[in-house]
Amino acid sequence: MGVGARPGVTNSPRMRRGFGVALLFLLLLLSAESNSTSPPGKPVLLGCRSPDKETFTCWWEPGTDGGLPTTHRLHYERERLEGTHECPDYRSAGRNSCFFDKEHTSIWVDYFLTVTACNALGNASSEPYKMDVMEIVKPDALDNVTLLVEKSDDSPLLHIRWEPPSNTDIKSGWVTVKYELRVRQDTGNKWAEYTSGTQTHFSLYSIVPGSVYTVQVRCRLDHGSWSEWSNSTCVEIPNYHHKEAGFWLMVSILSAIPFITAVSILVVKRKSVKQWVLPPVPGPKIRDIDAQLLNRGGSEAVDNVLLVMHSFHSIRACKEPMEEYLIVTENDEDPPSSLQKRNKSFLILAGFNLDHEKLYSEDTTESQRERETDDERTAETDRSAVDGAVEPFTNSSYVDVQRHVEAAQARDEEPVDYSKLKEVNGEHLLISKTENVSLGSSGYVAVKLQGHLEEDYSRVQEVDGDNVVTLQTQTAAVDALGRAKGNHYAVCPLQKTGKAIMCADLVQSGYVDTTRFVHI
Amino acid sequence: MGRRKLQRRDKDAKTNGQDSAEEMARHTGTFGSKLLPTVLYMVAACSAIPITDLLDRASQRSDQLHSLSTTLTQDLDSHLPLTVRLTLPRPSVCHTASLQTPNDKEQALQVPESDLLSLARSLLQAWEDPLVFLSTSANFLPHPAQNAISNKIQELRDHSKSLGDGLNILSGKMGPGARTISMLPYTGGNDVGQDTISQLINLNFLLSCFRRDSHKIDSFLKILRCRATGLPQMC
Repeated sequence: MGVGARPGVTNSPRMRRGFGVALLFLLLLLSAESNSTSPPGKPVLLGCRSPDKETFTCWWEPGTDGGLPTTHRLHYERERLEGTHECPDYRSAGRNSCFFDKEHTSIWVDYFLTVTACNALGNASSEPYKMDVMEIVKPDALDNVTLLVEKSDDSPLLHIRWEPPSNTDIKSGWVTVKYELRVRQDTGNKWAEYTSGTQTHFSLYSIVPGSVYTVQVRCRLDHGSWSEWSNSTCVEIPNYHHKEAGFWLMVSILSAIPFITAVSILVVKRKSVKQWVLPPVPGPKIRDIDAQLLNRGGSEAVDNVLLVMHSFHSIRACKEPMEEYLIVTENDEDPPSSLQKRNKSFLILAGFNLDHEKLYSEDTTESQRERETDDERTAETDRSAVDGAVEPFTNSSYVDVQRHVEAAQARDEEPVDYSKLKEVNGEHLLISKTENVSLGSSGYVAVKLQGHLEEDYSRVQEVDGDNVVTLQTQTAAVDALGRAKGNHYAVCPLQKTGKAIMCADLVQSGYVDTTRFVHI
Repeated sequence: MGRRKLQRRDKDAKTNGQDSAEEMARHTGTFGSKLLPTVLYMVAACSAIPITDLLDRASQRSDQLHSLSTTLTQDLDSHLPLTVRLTLPRPSVCHTASLQTPNDKEQALQVPESDLLSLARSLLQAWEDPLVFLSTSANFLPHPAQNAISNKIQELRDHSKSLGDGLNILSGKMGPGARTISMLPYTGGNDVGQDTISQLINLNFLLSCFRRDSHKIDSFLKILRCRATGLPQMC
């Protein structure tokens, strides 16, 4: 065996290994230089959609293309149709889609779709996709929604109108379109949804003027899927109140002017208005007695008055026990009865015509009789005092004494005292003490105040010793008819001490004339 | 029972009306003597209802039926896994597949009216028995919403029955072709399946067949309504 190696003959394992390594190295180099190519990835069918129940479109998602130009093909099989068919239209619906036109579309049959991707290196097929046209019906979104605001008397209306989807065949009844709309007021995310059925118009009531309304509409065919909402359509409701407000403003201004003038007139004349609305309460009035007349006139006046007074005979007012007068006669004719009635000798003369009348009627006969006597003390003097004349006093210078009721309780059995009127000097009544006076207790003197009869009481101006008391009347106004506070009498209980005490008023809100008794 | 039905359906519509009147008379018993005249009067009055009105009511009823079946299939589908749903080959064809019906708009618009009505009636009648089967099997359905589904199937049966009655009345007014009905017996058997998945699959299949047929009925009646009245609001 010669060890001589022939050149070119390599049959040793080491050489073979080297060769493999070199080849591998070469391949790696080659692959490193160029992009890697591979068969395409598996495409995925996304879905299909029919907008009108007469045609449909399917879309798919391609997988990786493996670095090589890849084509996608769609094949389908169909119920009641033999064989496998290819998509009739790859272009109309865009990339990676297949459009089935009317001739190739059948409803109520199943389609089995498959998409295959091919490139130089191989194929890849998607999973089969089963569908029925009935299940994939979804119309296009509506695009022509119009809004119209109708002004009505009470409140405006919003009319919404739209067109059916353009590619659907409604006229033959092949599809039934139902609509839904939603409305939003101003901004915010609260939508109000309404169903419109198959109508292509809708009216919205009770809308708020001044707001902006946004409306969207959508539809569906038979009982398929709802379309997308249409684009928003907005409208602003005009504010109708401006016009109305202007009108009412004018009306209110025009009506306010006379109102204001009336109010100002009232304010200016408030006094007279007050008089008219709330007339002053009339004071006490003796009918047919004219104080002025009596003040001025002579005995005629008195007679006239007395005549008039006679006519009041018949009127016998309610018996007021208060008006019982103590009648004391010389003969003691009827003292007991009188005496018994004494306890109610509360006298309020002024302001009550009744008092005077009763007084008058009751005692008229007696007083007439008793008038003659000088020493008689009757109620007549009181009456004549009632008459309001100065002269009667001069006739009988006696003033009868009335018992004051308040004091009467304590002094029921007091004898009547008299005092002689000495002088009447204008407003002043001078009373002098008489001989007969026996002042067992405090007696009372009825003093008539003339002239100013307004005041309720008169003040004792001066007490002259034990016998003389000078009363001063305060200014009293007399009404035209002598209606004034009438004959004022003040009751002034005097103590035995002879001090003059401020007269207690029998005042009762201006009516009262106060009977005054001055103790002498 | 099928034979009886066949014979009955081959009769005139008048005899149909008489049969129903007799049935009613039988049911009312002692009141029969009084009721029969009123029933006949009512039947006569029913026939006085215009056909457009009857068609309108019928299509509203079929619309409800289709709506119910759609929601029912969706309810059942929601429980099935997605992959199973999409790739599942049909176990078989629907038992009504043998009936030749139009498959697109052009074909449908060319079918005469009486034939359309006949197709609708045939389809509806074909589902009478399968719905009974569905309602019984729904009681044992392994589904979370089993109660709701069972109720809906019962509703389906009621709607289907009343629609069938209405279409029977309609058929009397639409010519001889309307009164023929093709028999489509249900051959699916009473076996739903052993395991849950197969039960669900079978029921799902049956309901999808019903959904398709109810859509056919609805579409046919709406075409009829549009054609018969000619009013745009009816289309």
